[in-house]
Amino acid sequence: MSAIGLKIPLPRSRHVLPGFSLSLGFTLFYLTGIVLIPLLALVIRPFELGWDGFWAAISTPRVLASLRLSFGMALFAAVIDSVFGFIVAWVLVRYRFPGRGLLDAIIDLPFALPTAVAGIALSTLYAPNGWLGSLLIPYGIRIAYTPWGVLLAMVFIGLPFSVRTLEPVLREVGHELEEAAATLGATRVQTITKVVIPMLLPALLTGAAMAFARGVGEYGSIIFIAGNIPAVSEIAPLLIVTKLEQYDYAGAAAIGVVMLTASFIMLLAINGLQSWAAKRR
Amino acid sequence: MSKTFSSGAGRRAFTSPTEDPLWLKALLGAVTVGFIGILLLMPLVLVFKEAFANGVGAFWNAVVEPDTLASVRLSLVAAAIAVPLNTLFGIAAAWCVAKFDFPGKTFLVTLIDLPFSVSPVVSGLIYVLVFGMQGWFGKYLVANDIHILFALPGIVLATIFVTFPFVARELIPLMQDQGRDEEEAAATLGASGLGTFVRVTLPNIKWGLLYSVLLCNARALGEFGAVSVVSGHIRGVTNTMPLHVELLYNNYDYVGAFAVSALLAMLALITLALKSLLEWRYADELAAVHRH
Amino acid sequence: MSLTVDSVSKKFGRFAALNGASFVAPQGGFVSLLGPSGSGKTTLLRILGGLEFADSGMVRFADLNWLDMPARTRNAGFVFQQYALFRHMTVADNIAFGLKVRPRARRPSRSEIRERVKSLLDLVQLPGLEGRYPSQLSGGQRQRVALARALAIEPRMLLLDEPFGALDAKVRKELRADLRRIHDHAGVTTVFVTHDQEEAFAVADLVAVMKDGRIEQYGVPADVRRNPKTAFVSEFLAA
Repeated sequence: MSAIGLKIPLPRSRHVLPGFSLSLGFTLFYLTGIVLIPLLALVIRPFELGWDGFWAAISTPRVLASLRLSFGMALFAAVIDSVFGFIVAWVLVRYRFPGRGLLDAIIDLPFALPTAVAGIALSTLYAPNGWLGSLLIPYGIRIAYTPWGVLLAMVFIGLPFSVRTLEPVLREVGHELEEAAATLGATRVQTITKVVIPMLLPALLTGAAMAFARGVGEYGSIIFIAGNIPAVSEIAPLLIVTKLEQYDYAGAAAIGVVMLTASFIMLLAINGLQSWAAKRR
Repeated sequence: MSKTFSSGAGRRAFTSPTEDPLWLKALLGAVTVGFIGILLLMPLVLVFKEAFANGVGAFWNAVVEPDTLASVRLSLVAAAIAVPLNTLFGIAAAWCVAKFDFPGKTFLVTLIDLPFSVSPVVSGLIYVLVFGMQGWFGKYLVANDIHILFALPGIVLATIFVTFPFVARELIPLMQDQGRDEEEAAATLGASGLGTFVRVTLPNIKWGLLYSVLLCNARALGEFGAVSVVSGHIRGVTNTMPLHVELLYNNYDYVGAFAVSALLAMLALITLALKSLLEWRYADELAAVHRH
Repeated sequence: MSLTVDSVSKKFGRFAALNGASFVAPQGGFVSLLGPSGSGKTTLLRILGGLEFADSGMVRFADLNWLDMPARTRNAGFVFQQYALFRHMTVADNIAFGLKVRPRARRPSRSEIRERVKSLLDLVQLPGLEGRYPSQLSGGQRQRVALARALAIEPRMLLLDEPFGALDAKVRKELRADLRRIHDHAGVTTVFVTHDQEEAFAVADLVAVMKDGRIEQYGVPADVRRNPKTAFVSEFLAA
């Protein structure tokens, strides 16, 4: 008879490929259980003391000192990592020498090495009787068990971020722009300062931001080499642990919220920097 | 007359405009080698030197000591649970993010990135706040004698939290770059979802997957801060390898601490070597990932 | 003040990019180096610009041993095929770059620089684009800016490396005419590399047809076309 009576079944799913609901569902379930609910617990907990209680918890001298130490040293370390990271990236990308590949691979060591191992190694190395610590003691320079130990550990773990963010950009900059600058009369120094470094700026900042974020939150690499003396060389993560051991959950959570907020801000900043870098292409 | 045509070429009176002068190369090279050598290499060398400071025998004894072996077992078990789960998650997340469009995708991806920016201590703290004595479920757990914290489940959870982004973050850009064409073709040819994934997607992502599982595993075995908060540090029971290192070190058992550290360091070096190998041989496939 | 290139040779590893290239051009002349890829034309240009070193041979220009001087001091404006504009700088800053990097004694004042940039932008027919960034410009506009930038330093020699290679035919024709006009106006000795013979013949006073690192024939376009000296030249021009 007539074919008009044929009913064409509507597709049940709006998606071409299968597995959407399953994969999204599992993803959301996982994220909710592992990430969102625990984070919610963190965010809510300090406020059982109310806003005033929250402020009181984080504005004690000891807490403020630890936050100052963690954030301050992380910033300092990020700057040091940016400067040396630039030099290291420059040498690795631009120069040819035997052993370059090996040197390049070692850069990732702080990434790959467990933080506790790094912690005890650094601590032993820079202790007054350590290989390097003993060389510095005669000059009155103490690293281990002082805030400088904190700085050193943060420089250690932050370096790969700086180098690895700069390397691909340096490779991309290539030689033509430098040649152009030279033909226009620029000296090598002028070329570097006016052409190369401005082009690297987004990558420099991104690397610095990543090193900073990592340094602020770092625990294992630092607690062995720091003195952990309250209000002097005690980092914020350690203070959180201490408060937990004293069952001051709300106090620990309060510091945790501060750190989480900082992490979130850094995350947004880094993403923003990366899109800025991409737009510059 | 040939005086005016004295040859200027053939001898370099100056360096090429894009090359650094020799003195600068020497300086920067020395700074680099010195900096890397002192900052990165020396600690590594020290780990092995201290581990074998009393000879191979002492090293071996420290490694086969019961508490050490227990910590190795615990680390391996925790990783054996966390890594596959995270891999599954990573695949699922990459699949829905790369092959489909939906609102809130950016937020989802940011959420996945979060553990990377969060302090390990905070990563452990959040589980204490949920499962601890004064946590949300604390009373309930105590009443039913369920141990999450200070036991394997807590350790596994903390490990999962800090390592779950690894696989997802590597696979998402990789699969996004590869696009949907091949999977769509498979769909038109009648392949099921799982079939498409196994036959079409998986072969394309296999090196990225291997690479990220490798890193995920290394981090899972090496995690310290987060696990430290939830573990309770019970010697021989709830200490993973990094925690055991801390315990030995704090008890002045330096050979022991560095012996276990040497094991972890060797794992790190093997991971780095495999990572370099994969990067070298499969550079193109991994290039997409590293653009992020 | 002619430009004398005498037996310039250069090897890259075992590959002889230039094999004794020689020519003489009058002051203010417009020479085109024409040839297929691998003929050595770009290498020769880069040697003239100080971006490569010759292995042997010599170049004299303006009474100077040209090859003895670093690129920085030659004052030879160079226009690259891919523009090589400084992406992080505005058009104005790009053009002014060569003036801003001069030592204090020779540096023009800020207002002079601004004037110069403005007149150069007018010259290359891009008035008012001082504040734009290279990423906001079309290919043809970028190349004009690159040209203006090279001209800003009041070069004694202008070197162009297939400057219109990346552009479409219509834009190429426009730019070609503009380049000739600017050359005539400024009177600067110009060397222009291209593989497009129509372009070379349309714009240059003298054409050097190159092959395998040598100049096969050199002369006024009409002569070269009418009297090709070698088989290669006649084939290349017939193509």
